[in-house]
Amino acid sequence: MDFSNFTEAFQLLADPMVFLFLICGVLLGVIVGALPGLSATLAVALLIPFTFDLSLMPALAMLIGVYAGAVYGGSVPAILFRTPGTPASAATVFDGYALTQKGESQRALSVAAFFAMVGGLIGTVILILLAPQIANIALRFGPPEYCALALFGLSMIVAVSGESLLKSAGVAIFGLLLATVGMDPITGYPRLLFGSVSLMEGIPFIPALIGLFALAEVFRSIGNTEQIAQRSSGKFAWPMRSDMIRGSWTGIRSGLIGTGVGSTPGSGSDIAAFMAYGIAKQRAKPGDTFGHGDIKGIAAPEAAKTGSISGSMVPLLSLGIPGDAVTAVLIGAFILHGIQPGPLLFEQHGPLAYSILATVLVAHIVVFLVAILGTRFLVRIVACDRKLLLASITILALLGAYALRNNIVDVWVAISFGVLGYILEHQQYPVAPLLLALILGPMAEENFRRSLILSDGSYLVFLTHPISAIILTLSVLSLIFSVIRRQKPRNG
Amino acid sequence: MHKEKRKILLSWFVVLLGSGGLIWMSLERWMGEEGEVFPSRVINIICPYSAGGGTDLFARSLARTAEAELDQTIMVQNITGGGGAVGFASGLIAPADGYTVTAVTFELVSLPIQGLVPFEPNDFDLLLRVNQDPGALAVRADTPLDSLEEFVAWARERGGVSIGNSGPGSVWHLAAALMADRLNIPVTFVPFNGSAPAITALVGGHVDAVVVGPGELLPQVEAGLVKILAVMSEERLSFVPDTPTFEELGYDVVFGTWRGLAVPRGVPEAAREKLTFAFREAMESEDFIEMARRGALNLSYADAARFRDDVQTQSADVEQLMERLGLK
Repeated sequence: MDFSNFTEAFQLLADPMVFLFLICGVLLGVIVGALPGLSATLAVALLIPFTFDLSLMPALAMLIGVYAGAVYGGSVPAILFRTPGTPASAATVFDGYALTQKGESQRALSVAAFFAMVGGLIGTVILILLAPQIANIALRFGPPEYCALALFGLSMIVAVSGESLLKSAGVAIFGLLLATVGMDPITGYPRLLFGSVSLMEGIPFIPALIGLFALAEVFRSIGNTEQIAQRSSGKFAWPMRSDMIRGSWTGIRSGLIGTGVGSTPGSGSDIAAFMAYGIAKQRAKPGDTFGHGDIKGIAAPEAAKTGSISGSMVPLLSLGIPGDAVTAVLIGAFILHGIQPGPLLFEQHGPLAYSILATVLVAHIVVFLVAILGTRFLVRIVACDRKLLLASITILALLGAYALRNNIVDVWVAISFGVLGYILEHQQYPVAPLLLALILGPMAEENFRRSLILSDGSYLVFLTHPISAIILTLSVLSLIFSVIRRQKPRNG
Repeated sequence: MHKEKRKILLSWFVVLLGSGGLIWMSLERWMGEEGEVFPSRVINIICPYSAGGGTDLFARSLARTAEAELDQTIMVQNITGGGGAVGFASGLIAPADGYTVTAVTFELVSLPIQGLVPFEPNDFDLLLRVNQDPGALAVRADTPLDSLEEFVAWARERGGVSIGNSGPGSVWHLAAALMADRLNIPVTFVPFNGSAPAITALVGGHVDAVVVGPGELLPQVEAGLVKILAVMSEERLSFVPDTPTFEELGYDVVFGTWRGLAVPRGVPEAAREKLTFAFREAMESEDFIEMARRGALNLSYADAARFRDDVQTQSADVEQLMERLGLK
C-alpha cells in the first residue's frame, strides 16, 4: 500500500461538500431503510440521476452514505416495532424487540448503532488491507461452494430453535417447501403458482417478513394494548460501557463473519446477519439470555450486516463484480460517472480508490453519530398511544408490502404470513427457522442443481472442491456440537 | 350545545366542499374530452423490471429527455415480478388513452411462447424500438483461445463446453442454444439468476464461457479479465470495434434482446403519433446519446411497422428454439 495515495485521498475528502452530501445521504438512507418495502437498492437507484449534476466525490459520498444509512435504518423499526425495515434486520428483531418490551428501547438502539459501527470499521479496515486477497478467495466460490455455504447456514437451525427441536425442524421443512414456490431455477418450469404470475419469482421475501413479524405482532396485540413505558435518559444516549464490553467479542467476530460472507458475490447481508446470530447463539454461555434481550443478540447481526457492506465492496472495487444487489446498482453509478471499478482502479486512480475507502470508513462513523443523536426522538414514537401506533404500523406494513413491486398480491402474501406468524407463535413454534429456510432454500437448491449440471451428475463434486468440503465438514461439526449442547443442561 | 352545533355545521361544510370538488373534477374531465390537447396530464411509463437495472435506466433517461418534448411530467413506475410478466400485464389493462406507456423488451416475445402468460405481443401497439443488444460470446482472458474458430475446435475436442446464461428461457439462454446449433458444438447450458452471476462464475472459472449482453461484459473486458470472441449483431459494435460478428465469420447467428415502448391496443392515433415523435426526438438528444454511450446501450431505432415485423420474425425463431430446448 502506498501512503502518498492516502494523503492525496484525504485531500479529496477534505472538501466540505463531500461531508455535506455524505450526511445528506446517511439521513436519507436511514429513513429509507426504516420504511419497510423501501430498500437500499431502490434508494441508490433513484438517487443516481440526481447525482449526475454533482461532481464525482460528493456523488459517491452521497451514494455510499445512503447505502450505509439504509443498512442501519432497517434495524430501527425492527427494534421499536418488530417490523424489520430490511431483510438483514430481521435477525435483530429477536433480542432488540425483547429489550423494547422491557422498556429499554433506547439502550437497544444505541447498542445496535455502536455495533453496526464496529462491524463497519472492521470490515473497512480489512477491505483496505486485504481486498485483492479476499477477492481471489471469493472468486473461487462456485456453485458447489455456495451450496455448501447455504447448508452451513441451514445447520444454524438447531442453534436458533426454541424449546423443541422437533418443532423447529418441522417449521424449517415447511419453510423449505415454501421456498420451492416459483419458477424452477434450472428448467424454468412454473412450480406451485396456483395461477398467480406474481409468485413466479418465488414468495416475495420482504412481504413475508413484514407479515411474520409486524402483522403477527399487531394480531397478537388485539385486545391487549397495554402501554410499554420506555426508559429514556432524555439526552443523547451513548451506549453503556458495560454493554459495549459485553458484546465486544461477539461484535468483532460477527464483523469478520459479515465481511467474509459479504465478499462472496452470491450471498449478502441477510445471510451474514443470520449466520452471525446463529454462531453467537451456538456459543452462548450459561448466563446468556438470547431471545430475551441479550446484548450479544443485537451485537451479532448488527456487526455482521455492516461488515457485509464492506465485504460486498471487495469484489466491487477489486474485480468490478457486484457483491450484492446494492453494489450492482453502485457499479452502474460508478460507470455513469466515468470510473471503471476493477483491478485497474487502484493502479490508475489510486487516490480516488483510497478516498472511496475512506468515505466508507467515515460513513460508518456518521451513521453512528446520526443514530445516537436520533435515538431519543425515536424512542418517543413508542410512547405514543399504542392503539394508534398499532394502526399506523399496520398501514405502513401493508404499504411497504405493496410499494416494493406495486403489486397487490404482495399485500395478500403479507397478510397470510401475518396469520401464519400469529399461529406459529401462539403454538410456540419458533419463526427463525422459517426465515432461514426461506433465505437459504433457493440458494441451496439452485447451486446444488447447477453443481450437478457442471459435474455431469456426480455428487462427489461437493467433496472434491476443497472449499466446499471444508464448509460441509464445518456444517456437520456445528450440527453435532449444537445437538450435544442442547442435551447438556438436561443431564446436568 | 353551541359547540355541538358548530361541529355539525363544520361537518356539513366539509361534505359540501368534498362533493363540490368531486363534481368539479368530473366536469373538468368531461369538458376536457372535446378540445383536449394530448397530453394534458402526467404520463406514466411502466417499467417491468426493478429500479437500477438496464431497462429501468433506459426508461428513466428516455423519460427525462422526453418530458421537455411533451411539456408534461413523465413518471417511471417499476411494476416487477414474473420476469416482466406482471409489468406487461399491468401495461395491457391500463386505459387505452396514451397516458400509460409500457417499456417492452424481448421477454414480451418469449414469455407467451413459454406458456407463462395469457397475452401475446399483438395485444400491444408497438410505438418504436430504441435499443438492440446482440448476444456476445465471451471466455476468460487467460483461456488460450483467440478466435471463434479456435473456440469451436476446442469445444469439439473436449467433447463439450459449459456456457453460463442469465436464466432458463432467458434471451441469453436462447442465444447460446442458437449458437450451439449453428456452430454444431456440444454445450452444457448453466442457467444463473441474471447476467451478473453468470459473468462472475466465468471470471471465477466455474463455467467455460458465457453468452450475455456486450454492455454487461464491458467492465470485465476493460479490466482484462474476459475477452469477447464474437457478437451476434449484423454489424460490428462501436464500443468493441475489433470484435467480429458471427455473420462475417460465416455463421448465421443474429440474435439478441431489444427495448422499446408500447401502448395497449386502442389508443387514438393522434396520441400515438405524438408519443412516438416525442420519444424519437428524445432518443436523438445529446443527453440520451451520452447516457447510452456510458451505459453501453446499443441504440437502434425502428419505427412501429419495422418493429412489428422484427418481433414477428423473432417470435418464429424463439418458438423453434424453445421447442428444441424443451422449454415450451
